[in-house]
Amino acid sequence: MAALLVAVLVVPLAAGVASWLLPTDRLRYLLVLPTTLLTLGLALALIAGVLQHGALRAFNDWLYLDHLGAVVLLVVALVSTMAGLYSVAYFRSTANAHAVRAGEMRKYFALFHLFVFTMVTATVSGNLGLLWMAVTATTFAAAPLVDFYGSHGPLEAAWKFIILAVAGELIALFGFLCLYASAVGWLGGSYNFTVPVLQSVGPHLSPALGTLGFLLVLVGFGTKAGLAPMHTWLPDAHSQAPAPICAMLSGAELNCAMLAILRVLALVTPAERGGTELRAALLAFGLLSMTVGAVFLISQRDFKRLLAYSSVEQMGLITAGIGLGAPLAVFGALLQMLAHSLAKCLMFFNAGNLLLRFRSTTISDVRGVVRVAPMTAVLVVAGALAIAGAPPFGLFLSEASIISGGFGAGAGAAAGFIAVLLVVGFIALVAPFSRMVFGEGRAGPLPPRAELGAAVLLPGYVLLAAVLLLGVFVPGPLHALLAGAAREVRG
Amino acid sequence: MLPEITLAALFLLVSFQLILARRLRTAVGAYQLQSWLLGGISIALFVDTHLLGLLAFGLLIVVLKGLAIPTLLRRRMGFALTAGRESAYYVGFPTALLVGAALCLAGFIAASRIPSPSRLLPEAVLGIGIAVLLLGLFTTTARRDGVLQMGGLLVAENGLLLIGLVLAPRLSLLIEFALVLDVLIAVVVMAFLLARMHEAVASTDTSELTRLRG
Repeated sequence: MAALLVAVLVVPLAAGVASWLLPTDRLRYLLVLPTTLLTLGLALALIAGVLQHGALRAFNDWLYLDHLGAVVLLVVALVSTMAGLYSVAYFRSTANAHAVRAGEMRKYFALFHLFVFTMVTATVSGNLGLLWMAVTATTFAAAPLVDFYGSHGPLEAAWKFIILAVAGELIALFGFLCLYASAVGWLGGSYNFTVPVLQSVGPHLSPALGTLGFLLVLVGFGTKAGLAPMHTWLPDAHSQAPAPICAMLSGAELNCAMLAILRVLALVTPAERGGTELRAALLAFGLLSMTVGAVFLISQRDFKRLLAYSSVEQMGLITAGIGLGAPLAVFGALLQMLAHSLAKCLMFFNAGNLLLRFRSTTISDVRGVVRVAPMTAVLVVAGALAIAGAPPFGLFLSEASIISGGFGAGAGAAAGFIAVLLVVGFIALVAPFSRMVFGEGRAGPLPPRAELGAAVLLPGYVLLAAVLLLGVFVPGPLHALLAGAAREVRG
Repeated sequence: MLPEITLAALFLLVSFQLILARRLRTAVGAYQLQSWLLGGISIALFVDTHLLGLLAFGLLIVVLKGLAIPTLLRRRMGFALTAGRESAYYVGFPTALLVGAALCLAGFIAASRIPSPSRLLPEAVLGIGIAVLLLGLFTTTARRDGVLQMGGLLVAENGLLLIGLVLAPRLSLLIEFALVLDVLIAVVVMAFLLARMHEAVASTDTSELTRLRG
């Protein structure tokens, strides 16, 4: 299994280097599908290994994959495969107003694969120093991609992103140092700073240092995970980047930061007598993020920013679900992580397609999609319903699990509040997209009726099928994986 | 312990020079001096304890943060450094200084509350580390110029490495090497974005970047 753990890292890294070295863009395009599919295949083999043997460990636990890491690995691999496919279709689409300049695709795909590499590294890190580094490195790969179009808006977004993300990462590092110090009393000054070693310390961790460490990591990586009030960079970065990169930022990267928070939570919980205070902090950040997300959703005029604020709300929901602490709620939060990522990825592809057709990301500029491009319209409507949490899509199931888990655990007020915010979010998301699809009265004539090519629509339909499947039934192995991860999160 | 404490006190003083710097060139010089001091603390601690990791870490800091990053900044940021222009705050200089003093106090109070698991350095040094971390983060949020915002992060990172020397002096060298390397990559990416910014708006003043709201 050690070989597989190495391979899943080497493939995206090698693909990044190869993309930089290859002589033509055509070869770069050809490289995307095999390498992302290979990464996905390796990820699935690793997940099967985790289900069969429990946590996989290699190189003195520098590499380590448990159920929790495997859930995020699955998300990263699925989203990056789809985003890779969509990237090629998007930039090659004849409808794309952005004329690809020489050298641009070289930079784009080299960074794309490196971005995947850093995220995969985060999911298989057993050493907490490596985990911090990997999460930090995602920023460095992603920031130049946010700046891809190079004009005023993207540049501003990329700068805000990197400054706030690095500031957050430094605070998180302070947290990791406290966590290291919290086990020094039990293990001595020099020990292997890895997940299994800290797990073996269990309740002997210094509770004061451990709690401080967790709170610092929560605030620091919470900045990267888009939790309010540190979320201010997110709507900019997640709306200014090219559509496939938005999908990866919202669908995959946020979860890597969340993974780091959950890892520390699980390690500190045994020393904190069940982790009541830790979970209270999570719940508070979660509810605040959901509130901020829901309020800003209502006032958006740009559909990419709308989706970005929806990510703030959804990350808040995941955080709150973990904070509720009941087994069902934690299970729901992890399912939500997967379902939200797939649905958000789909919606950003839709946003890209609408931009290709209407040349604008302003909601009021887009009208009558159903008459211009019916196949696109189906995806937009279904995707909007899915992301808003309507049945029978996956998010309905996960949101219902979180809320009923909350009620079951006696946290009725919090669960009720979550339900209200989700209803507000539902209306704020579905209303603008339905106006865009079915509405009339756009100033000026509609674009000519023409479908976008099958290549740009295909990834969306695949994702839609997956989100639908998650809502109808959760396959056995996936259920086992999520249940295992929920156990690990609860310490 | 005396050399370490003296060096740490100087380390704190230099961060004030960074906060007050009106020219970017001064800021880079102060950062360089601060990195040498940090390396010095680590090496002085090695002399006391004979932990080889501390010697290696000190040398690493001196080479990477004392030489490589300042050189990189002077080369890549030449367009910003030679201008010799004022680098304003969103708040006035006196306010910035006052906030800085308050943050120092906060750092020392925080340090007194963090329990001590067998430390090599006294609590005061931890206080200095936290104070410098806070000062750096404050500079990042309060400065208008992108280069100085990046400078704030670099200072915060120095403070953090000092905290690391107090809380986890025996942390594996491999991890520490990686952490320092991480900063180097951060500087390269930020310098790249700053160069783009300079191209786009002929300045690295981020108060010109106000298009994205709400």
